[in-house]
This record gives sequence, C-alpha cells and structure tokens, in this order.
Amino acid sequence: MRKTITFAVLLWLSFAILTAAPATAQKLEAQPGYVPIHELGIFPRERLSAEINLSGPLLRMIAGASRSDDPEFAALLSGLQAIQVQVFPLAATDEAAVKGRIGNAVRWLEDRGWAPTVRVREGGEEVYIYLKEAEGRIVGMTLMSLTSGDEAAVINIVGRIDPEQLSRLGEELDLPHLDRVPDKDNKDNQDKKP
Amino acid sequence: MSRFDDTLRCEEVLDLLEPYLDGDLPPDEAAQAAAHLERCPACAGELDLATAVQRELRALPQHDCPPEVLQKIHSAGAGEVVPFRSRLAGWPVRLSLAAAVLALTVGGAAFFLQQRQDGPSPAEIAQATEEARFALAYIGKVSRKASLGLRDDVLRRRLVAPATRSLAQTLEDIPGNEVPVRDTAGQP
Repeated sequence: MRKTITFAVLLWLSFAILTAAPATAQKLEAQPGYVPIHELGIFPRERLSAEINLSGPLLRMIAGASRSDDPEFAALLSGLQAIQVQVFPLAATDEAAVKGRIGNAVRWLEDRGWAPTVRVREGGEEVYIYLKEAEGRIVGMTLMSLTSGDEAAVINIVGRIDPEQLSRLGEELDLPHLDRVPDKDNKDNQDKKP
Repeated sequence: MSRFDDTLRCEEVLDLLEPYLDGDLPPDEAAQAAAHLERCPACAGELDLATAVQRELRALPQHDCPPEVLQKIHSAGAGEVVPFRSRLAGWPVRLSLAAAVLALTVGGAAFFLQQRQDGPSPAEIAQATEEARFALAYIGKVSRKASLGLRDDVLRRRLVAPATRSLAQTLEDIPGNEVPVRDTAGQP
C-alpha cells in the first residue's frame, strides 16, 4: 500500500513539474491586485515615453541581486508579483481626452473594489492612488497621475505591499533614478515575462 | 503400531509414495505399502506415474557447476541462508524508481530549456533593476506632489490605516505570534 502511495506521489510530482511554469504564467492575471492597463487603453502604446512590465520571476532575480547592496529595496521587491508602468507625454496632445480615459480607469477600479487612497485635482495636477485589499492585506496599488503640459502616467504594482516602505523608498530614489527613464524603444526590455 | 494396517487410507499411502519409491521406508512399512498398492488400483496408478516421472528426471543430462562459480558461492555465502524473493515482489519499487527518474529527467530538461529560453542575462537584470527603481521613484515623486494637498487625518485614514490592517493580518498569520497591533484608523 505504501509503495502504491509513493508511486502515485512520484507520478503527481512529475506532472506538477511539467505544468508548473504555465500555471505560474497564468496566475498573474488572476491576482486581485492586477490591472490590465494595456486592455484599458488609457494611453496609446505607440506614443508612450516609457513602458515597464516586470513580473514575478524577474522581480525575484532583481531582489536577489540587490539584497546585499539595498536590503530594503530587495525586501520590497521580493513580495511583488508585477510592476507595470506607462508614461505618456502630453505635449501636443488632447489633454481632455487623456483625462477622460483616466476617469474611465478610475471608475473601472472603483467598480472592482479598489479603495481610493489619494485623489488630488488641483491646478494642472491630477493624482489618483488606489489600493486593493484582499483578506486584510494590501495586494495591489494603482497610481495614475497627470501634470498638465508635461506627462501622464499609470503604475500598477501587484503583490504584498507596505505603502510606508514603498513611499520611503520612492522618496530615497526620487532624484537619482528619475533621470534614467528606461528606453521605451528597446524592445528587448519590454514585456519581460519569464 | 505400524502406520500401515487394514484401515490405512489412500491419502496416507500417497504421502509415502516418494520414500517408498526411493526405498527409504523400513522393510515392514514397505511391505504393508506394497500390499495396499496391490489391492488399490488408484494408488497403484499414482505409483506408476511417480515411477515414470522419476525415470524421466533421471534421464535428463547432468551438468556440473563450474568450479569458479562454486568457489564464489562458498566464499560469498559462507553458509548464510538468504531468503529468495520473487521477481514480482519488488515491482512497485522498481516502477516508483523509474517514475522518479523519468520525472527528474523530464522536469530537469524542461526547467533547463525554460531557463535557457527565458532566463534574463545579467545585463537584462541590471536594466530591469533600473526600471523597478524608476517605477518606485515615480511613485515617490507623485506621492510627494499629492501629499501637498492632503490633510494629515486624510492621509492617516486612507494610507496608514490600510497599511496597519495589512501588517496586523500578516503578524496574526505568523504561528505563535500574538503581538497586538493597534488600529490607528480615524485617530486624530
């Protein structure tokens, strides 16, 4: 009997190994904190100035590579499953149309249980930060911003999030890293989903 | 009292056919067996069959075991009696091992191929690190802009309270951890 159970477990393991990778790939879209920003069509993709799509395995590699140099950054990334960023330049653009699409995205989020954390509409600035909770934990954050005459952006972070840590790291990283906008035209670095 | 008498049953005679045939029975028992066989056609038939089998077996060619094999058996066994195991007895074990080897081989190959196909290079990881830092920096910049127009109580209710609940839930899930976490939601 014990041998039969061992045999069954081994067969199940072999099946699990073979199916693990596709299963992992399917999981991201099912995460409560995931927002399909490509499907929402907030910005035309061909005119984005920056686009980032980082998913779980790559984020864990980054976390592993950063552990000794920047433990807090590594700790934050190790809990994440995806980072999606779209930055759209507003120069020579119909800003009203962009604001309208951001408004549609806000309604999409609220219809799906995202909680507004920050909503600022002041002068030419619009900022929306929404958090998604599941089972008492924050499992997603979506930020949308628009600075009139400058640019608009949408950022979706999927995974276990500590907003305080995120904010602290964001402040520390502000000046040195905003100068290095990722090259949107480098297709080798787009849509990384290992 | 002898085992063979007038009330001797056929089953008892059949049990003694082999020693009778080999001449191993004492003379008196052999005589009684012979008397029973003379008057019992069924047992006599069994005796004829046993005689024929013995004759055929003895007619088979005899092969001597090679001396070197005998030597190995003597030196390895040293008189130890090893119980014989049926070939079929271990089939689940062999099948399990085969399944394990198959799983490791196929799984390992799939993992290797996947790593080769999708695994990022160090340069790609460095680029991705910059992208992740860029995303966080962007959040920091926008949050700072936004917080200029927010009151402290709004920040506490909207940002600190959800974070506290999330932290409390995480701490509760740690086995043996009963550290109370105060919910600061709504506090001035």
